[in-house]
Amino acid sequence: MTAALLALADSRLPAGGHTHSGGVEQAIVAGLVHDPRSLEVFLRRRLVTSGAVAAGAAAAAAREGGGAPADRRAGWARIDAETDARTPSPALRRASRQQGRGLVRVGRRAWPAAVWDDLPDRPHHPLALGVAAVAAGLGPDDAARAAAYLAVTGPATAAQRLLAMDPITVATVTARLGDEVDRVAAATSTTSTGISSRTPPGTSPGTSTGVSTGTTDGDGRDPDWLPADTDPLLDLLAEVHADRGDRYFAS
Amino acid sequence: MPPDHLLDDYVDPYDDPAARGRRHGPLRVGLGGPVGSGKTALAAALCRTLGAELDLAVVTNDIYTTEDADFLRRHAVLPDDRIEAVQTGCCPHTAIRDDITANLDAVELLEARHPGLELVLVESGGDNLTASFSYGLVDVQVFVVDVAGGDKVPRKGGPGVTASDLLVVNKTDLAPLVGADLDVMRRDAAAVRGGKPTLLISLREDPAATEVAAWVRQQLRSRAAQHA
Amino acid sequence: MRTLVEVVARPGPGGRTVLPVVRASGQLAVRRTGPTTVHLVATAFGPLGGDDAEVRLVVEAGARLIVRTVAAAVVLPARGESPPSLQRIRAEVAGVLDVRPEPTVVTAGAHHRAVLHAQLTEDAELTATEQVQLGRSGEQPGRWTGTTRIERAGVPLLHTTVGLGPGAAAWLPPVAPQAYASTVHLGSTAGRATGDDAVRLPLDRGWVATAWGERLTPTLARLALLGQPAPVEEALS
Repeated sequence: MTAALLALADSRLPAGGHTHSGGVEQAIVAGLVHDPRSLEVFLRRRLVTSGAVAAGAAAAAAREGGGAPADRRAGWARIDAETDARTPSPALRRASRQQGRGLVRVGRRAWPAAVWDDLPDRPHHPLALGVAAVAAGLGPDDAARAAAYLAVTGPATAAQRLLAMDPITVATVTARLGDEVDRVAAATSTTSTGISSRTPPGTSPGTSTGVSTGTTDGDGRDPDWLPADTDPLLDLLAEVHADRGDRYFAS
Repeated sequence: MPPDHLLDDYVDPYDDPAARGRRHGPLRVGLGGPVGSGKTALAAALCRTLGAELDLAVVTNDIYTTEDADFLRRHAVLPDDRIEAVQTGCCPHTAIRDDITANLDAVELLEARHPGLELVLVESGGDNLTASFSYGLVDVQVFVVDVAGGDKVPRKGGPGVTASDLLVVNKTDLAPLVGADLDVMRRDAAAVRGGKPTLLISLREDPAATEVAAWVRQQLRSRAAQHA
Repeated sequence: MRTLVEVVARPGPGGRTVLPVVRASGQLAVRRTGPTTVHLVATAFGPLGGDDAEVRLVVEAGARLIVRTVAAAVVLPARGESPPSLQRIRAEVAGVLDVRPEPTVVTAGAHHRAVLHAQLTEDAELTATEQVQLGRSGEQPGRWTGTTRIERAGVPLLHTTVGLGPGAAAWLPPVAPQAYASTVHLGSTAGRATGDDAVRLPLDRGWVATAWGERLTPTLARLALLGQPAPVEEALS
């Protein structure tokens, strides 16, 4: 089902992504992005933080697709809440949910399937991506790959427009990050087994989700938790950007 | 905005809303045209003229600022909650043609906020002569050019000039000053527009945009008749 | 070396808090320094690479607990290829918990992993701070990875992992701070706010503020501009 993955990750899929800069518009204003090298640094830090979170959530959402409707509804609601917890910036939450809605709009018609009805309203974008993958017959790895890839290509295109950069240079920067995109996507399939197998929310402290057995991987990460890597710089850029009256991009 | 599960009521994936006309909701009118031709002034004029008789709202696609939305607010032609501004990511014609998501969200937000809405004006960001609206976003579109751009504009064509449902040539009062021949513009427009209407107007002389407002009323009537 | 600290705070007679469990083993000792306050005291150098410390805090409904440390923790690498040192705080809070340790200094070659996992009931209150400096004065930075997960009634409110120092994937010049500070507070609301290399974000009935920079002291000053929860008052004994 490679063709469906290509369609899902295509920047021309009309899901509203082109009006979001992934923080790069404000990074340019702040002087952090001004040339191909600084763009690559920005894209890398976005990829390994919000890109990893998106890939993890998208893969987890895709894993839920095979369950009974009630189970996957509950699973997707939990993934949506987990994504909220990993996206404390109101501006970034808004951007994610706007893009999630945009993807649902096109996805429902492009890949009609019953699973769309089990999504919460205005889902986070990675969740919508995971469900789109299910509807299109793709797997969790594909969902993670699309999420990680889109975390890079959106801001790359925005930077190209804002800085009038050579499009071939920007394509080169994006291509050079390909291995890292694959690495981030692959990491999600080995770290999280999906949070749906855990005790559902609402239980009392001490028995609810997330109390691990105490085991951690070599980096001290809890394999039971979805990726939560964050970059406070991106939060700050997003909030400053949201306050501006003069901007080209919605985020 | 409606919930996501109502985003799409089209059962047949090839049943393109653009091809058959929407069955419900307000009439969506696109206002496009080059920078400075008078799109915002026309939107304001239509709001003033039609506001008393129609339940209406406006979506603006400013390129950089919320200047157009602010203009409409400042001139109090519409209450704040009837104006939505969208950002177009440096690419105003993508936002009205290739990926209309942000504009659809804005239209749907206005529809949800004002259930009796009859007319939504979608004003594009100032762009060049190739910009046109997707019929997935609007039901009909108006392309606004002005006399000051030179009387060659209609002859040069482009999808806005040739294919729009209404071509408006604004600022006719400037014709003597810029040496533009209105008859030439009228004739050239007719030659490339295959019978679709062209209006030569001056918003300075007619701030009510009487003729354009009449055309909009006609569109509302003909759609009502179609779906009756 | 494994370290375990356990403290339980329970409501006592007259609205006071009693601490029926105050115990520690390994490289931390725990001292009662006030009616509702405990201080953690390091009993050895470190933490060292490979050390694993867990602090379990339980604050029952109607009780208050204040946790402090007596001095900055200086994280040192183990000999050879040093594994990370780990410190986990696991808190179950139905009352009021206030955890504000002294700074963590991560020396060159060391990697410290800090985890705060707090599970709150609907009415619980929490204040937790983190203060990090990579490298002692004039020294190369060490590496720090901090995860915060806070749940209220089982719903995740905040779950973030910040990686700092050489080798951390998002620690890239020109924004590669050696100092980092954050405050998370649940129990009262505050809107979003931005400052110089500092940002405060709202949470449901709470907020989280973060600041970063080269040195800790000015970083803390910029964080303080975004608000500082009042310390939990000591109950009269």
